[in-house]
Amino acid sequence: MKLLTEEKCADTSVTLCRSCDLVIRKRALPSSVRALCPRCHTAIYDAPYCSLNGMLALCLTALIFFVPANLLPVIELHFLGSIRTTTIFEGAMAVANQGYWVVAIAVLTSAVIAPGLLLLSVLSQILIIKYRLEVPFFRDILKRLLKYHGLLSQLTMLEIYMISIFISVFQLRDYTDIHLEMGTFCFAMLFLVTLFLQREYHLEHMWSLLND
Amino acid sequence: MTSPSEQAHRTQGKDVGLTLCPSCKQLMPHAENHCSRCGSILALRDYSSLQKSWALLITAAILLIPANIYPITIFTSQGHTRHDTIFTGITHLIDLDILPIAVILFTASILVPILKICGLTIYLLAISFRLPISKKRLMVGFHVIEWIGRWSMLDLFVISITAALVNMGQLLDARPGPAATAFALVILLTQVAAKVLDTRLLWDRLESKDDAN
Ligand SMILES: [Zn+2]
Ligand SMILES: [Zn+2]
Repeated sequence: MKLLTEEKCADTSVTLCRSCDLVIRKRALPSSVRALCPRCHTAIYDAPYCSLNGMLALCLTALIFFVPANLLPVIELHFLGSIRTTTIFEGAMAVANQGYWVVAIAVLTSAVIAPGLLLLSVLSQILIIKYRLEVPFFRDILKRLLKYHGLLSQLTMLEIYMISIFISVFQLRDYTDIHLEMGTFCFAMLFLVTLFLQREYHLEHMWSLLND
Repeated sequence: MTSPSEQAHRTQGKDVGLTLCPSCKQLMPHAENHCSRCGSILALRDYSSLQKSWALLITAAILLIPANIYPITIFTSQGHTRHDTIFTGITHLIDLDILPIAVILFTASILVPILKICGLTIYLLAISFRLPISKKRLMVGFHVIEWIGRWSMLDLFVISITAALVNMGQLLDARPGPAATAFALVILLTQVAAKVLDTRLLWDRLESKDDAN
C-alpha cells in the first residue's frame, strides 16, 4: 500500500480537487483554458504559462504607480471658496480619528498595505527565482512568500476602492463642486497593472519552480 | 447500478491514500504529517473547521442586527443633521435620483451580506444534518459567496473617503456612525467563516446517491 501511494505521488498526471477531494486525471490544456472539477466545478489548474520577465516588468510598473497613488490626492472638493483634498491614507486616518479604528484598519489593509506587500512579495519572488534560487536561505524566503501569497491577494481590494472613489464623487456632487485628481489616475493605473500581473501570476507554477 | 467509468469518476483522494497540501497544493500520501515541499501540516479532513465556521457565522449574524439598525453615516448639511442607517442611506440616494449608485450600494451592503449569511447557513446545515440538497449547486453557491463577499467593503471605502473630504462643521460634515464597526466585523467574520471551512466534508457526509446531482 505504501509503495502504491508513493508511486501515485510521483505521478504528476493525477491531482485532487481542493474542494471535494475528487481524484482528477490531468490533461494537457491549451493556454488560457482552465480545467474545472467535473463534480463541483472548482477551478483545478490551468496551462502554466508565466513569463518571469513579463511579470517583472508589470511588477515594477505597478510599484512606480504605487507611491503617487497613495500620496497624491484622489479627490478635490470646492466648498464656499475653500478647497479640500484627500488621499487614500487620509481617508483611513479620518475614520480612525473619529474612533472607528476597525474600519480604518480594514480600509488601510485592503487598499494600501495588502496591495503594497503583494507587489513587494511578487518582486522578491521573481528576483529570487531569477538570480538566487540555489541559495538555501533565499529558497526558504521564497517558500514563506509563496505561503502567504493567497492571503495577500485575497486582502487586496484595489478594484473595489476604485469604484468607491467614483461613487463618492457622485454622492457629493449634489452638495459641492467635486473633481477627480492626479491620485485617481495613478490609482487607476496601479489597479490595471496589478490586475494584469495577477492574471499572469500562477501560484502553482511558482511552487513547481521550487521542486527542481 | 453505476457503470465502472462513473465509479472511477467518484474516487476521492482519501480512498487512494492521497491528500493535497492545504497551502501549496502538492499531492502527498496522507500517511505523512508534513508537506515535503512547504512543511505545512497535512490533514485528511479538518472536522473542527465545521464548529469554527458555525461560531464565526453565528457571531456575524448577530452583528448584522446592530449593523442595520444603528446609523452608519452621520451627515450634516447647513446645520441640519441626518443619521442614516444602511437602509435609509440607500433610500436617500433614491430620493436624490442617483438610482444606479443606490442599486450598487444596496447590492454590496444589504443583499450580499444577507445572501452570504443565508448561503453559508444552508451550506453548514447541509453538512451538519446531511440535508438532501444538490451538492453541486451548494458548491457553486459557495464559490459565488467566496467571490462576492469582498464587495461589501465598498460602503466602508465610500464612508472613509467622504469622512476625510467633508468636515466643515455645521455647513457640511460627514462622519461614520456606530454601525460602521459592526458592519466591518460582519464582512470580516463571514469571509473567515467561508475560508476556514473544509469543503471536502460536504462531499463525504451527504448521501452518495445524490452524487450525480
Ligand atoms: Zn471538486
Ligand atoms: Zn505544501
